[in-house]
Amino acid sequence: MSGFFHYFSSHFESFRGEFWALFFGGIGSGIIYAMVAIGYTMVYGVLRLINFAHSEIFMIGGFSGFFVLKYGIGSSTPSGLSSVFFVILGILAGGIAGSLSAVVLERVAYRPLRKRGAPKIAYLISAIGASYFLINIAAKEFGRIGQSMVQPYTDHAVFTIFGAPIQMYTIIILIVSVLMFLALDRIVSATKLGRGIRAVAQDSETASLMGVNIDKTIAVTFLLGGFLGGVAGFLYAMNFGVLYSMGFTPALKAFTAAVLGGIGNLRGAVLGGLILGIVESLSVSFVNPAYIDVVAFAILILVLMFRPTGILGERLGRDA
Amino acid sequence: MKNRLNKTVAALATGALLLVAVPVAGFASAGAATKPVYVIGYEGPLTGPANQYGLNEVYGLQLAVNQWNANNLPFTLEVKQFDDQGSGTLSPAQAAAAVAVPNLVAVVGPAFSGATHAAQPTYEAAKMPIVTPSATAVGLATTGANNFFRMVYGDDVQGTADANFLLKVKKAKSITVIDDATFYGAGIAKVVTDVAKAAKAKVVTTTLPQSTSCSAQASVAQFAAAATKIKNAKPDAVFYGGYACDYANLLPALSKAGYKGIVMSADGSYDAALMTQVNPVSAAKGAWLSAANCGSTGNLTGATAAAYEALSGIAPASALYDAQAYDAGNIIVAALKSIGVTALGTNTITQTRSAISAYLHANTFDGVTGKIAFQANGNLVGTGKGNIAIYQITGKDLPTKKTCY
Repeated sequence: MSGFFHYFSSHFESFRGEFWALFFGGIGSGIIYAMVAIGYTMVYGVLRLINFAHSEIFMIGGFSGFFVLKYGIGSSTPSGLSSVFFVILGILAGGIAGSLSAVVLERVAYRPLRKRGAPKIAYLISAIGASYFLINIAAKEFGRIGQSMVQPYTDHAVFTIFGAPIQMYTIIILIVSVLMFLALDRIVSATKLGRGIRAVAQDSETASLMGVNIDKTIAVTFLLGGFLGGVAGFLYAMNFGVLYSMGFTPALKAFTAAVLGGIGNLRGAVLGGLILGIVESLSVSFVNPAYIDVVAFAILILVLMFRPTGILGERLGRDA
Repeated sequence: MKNRLNKTVAALATGALLLVAVPVAGFASAGAATKPVYVIGYEGPLTGPANQYGLNEVYGLQLAVNQWNANNLPFTLEVKQFDDQGSGTLSPAQAAAAVAVPNLVAVVGPAFSGATHAAQPTYEAAKMPIVTPSATAVGLATTGANNFFRMVYGDDVQGTADANFLLKVKKAKSITVIDDATFYGAGIAKVVTDVAKAAKAKVVTTTLPQSTSCSAQASVAQFAAAATKIKNAKPDAVFYGGYACDYANLLPALSKAGYKGIVMSADGSYDAALMTQVNPVSAAKGAWLSAANCGSTGNLTGATAAAYEALSGIAPASALYDAQAYDAGNIIVAALKSIGVTALGTNTITQTRSAISAYLHANTFDGVTGKIAFQANGNLVGTGKGNIAIYQITGKDLPTKKTCY
């Protein structure tokens, strides 16, 4: 028993020392999960379908940003305003490639099934097929070796909070994500487009009777989700580089985050992403860092067991 | 009538000539082919995240074979490649394919320890001599098999040298030892841990399994979290037993967490891919690497190095284990020559393979890497002292300036 207490007291000792660094590290990865989770949740909202090829939208976003920066920057490291320019360029490249590929994916892998009234399992198989197709084509075209992103700026600790160094990278992803989450929230809750998305999510048949163009609304949903997924891919690749299989684990975590927050619920996806990122990061104070994925997926299982609708609950079609 | 007969005779004669000519032509080509063809296999990662090792080695072997083929041997040599991507999961199938080739007499490789461990039962059953230029795990030489040979000193030598470098040269009193849970990474990490503990250093061990960067499953997020813990524990040194694809994740994570101590990894991380993957490249500055290619087990030099570069396009100075693969090819050819074409022609393939193993066990060779002689377990004879190279990363490229320990 005393060994038990010793275990916890010694771990709490180290926990106090590393809490803030782990906390902000968790926010960094949580934001990426949240951005990807939004793509899952939006598509689920309108189609009741988990788009398992979303991980490859993430990967495509990463590679697009990678190539744009590689040819745009070359071997130097920009600073000042040109850094800002290249970060924005990379974000746009990732986002645009992400949304384009998401729209193409919808047209090729899902719409034909929808037109034929295929059962849900067919969508799932189509999604997995599309995912493997994209992974392998990327492996063939871009090689199976990871490559690091040309850095648009020199990463460094800008300031410290409670002794935890905050990197420029973390600040960038915080700013970008907050702007995108706010913009998306406005689009979905206050525009005609958003009203269409919510109407289709709530009851697609009635929505179409009321004059909502279902095909267009679904395409726009993929476009928006793909944009966020692509941007997330670029932001992730700035830190970890690009690799054909880079989307798999982050996207699976993002799916967990979407379920955790309440699938179909945009704010839930953001909340779920942040909680998942922070919890898995803090867990390393108590368990070996190798267990980080075990913690993340244990959370998924626990949520499904005790609160299958997630923290904020499914809120399909209602206000954001 | 006579005229007609003449025509018939002419036709017959032409036909007969043609009939004769075809076999003659046939014999002529068969005459060239009577020079028998023997195949030396190469197994290693030729694609995948660690393919630099495979490329370094397969060109070393190919160079040796090309030089022998230009040397009027009584037989022709060919190299056949078996790509295991460095993976223990893929290597048994490659080994099965290699042993099934009827005139394949020996294998250079497998390059990686985990792949060798997984493929060895297949090779051993076929009595196939495997001469690895780079598989360093200690456990490979303790199975009692007599078909295993390695051209470098094992991780007992390299891990000990690494630990002593950290403890004695760098005066580290506390070390965090990380391994990637692979056969190789866990093996060398254990050697470092044991040596450091025996020297009364404070040792903390952690396992971070191979991530998606190494085509495995674990997420790269574990490195940042582990680095934060290391930064707070403040060990004097961190040793990483694993491969470049993940060392490239660990180095920036440690640098971003603000860890200022010594960071070291071994030959699994001495890979040009390390420098293209580490992000930013400045995060690798000052980090240490080791490899079993110093002293008598160095790299190719002189005219051989130039020929190697012309063949492969790889700069020999950073082509780890090129010389070992070159020598491995040469000693296999020496065995074939000693067995002789007559015996080779009458032997079954299994007899030939066994005879090569016996020859390699019984002889000492002068290679470009120095004197080569094997113990019964397949390890090189000698203590290996002075054969471990220690490198420090100083710029954007893989370092080539080495100090021998």
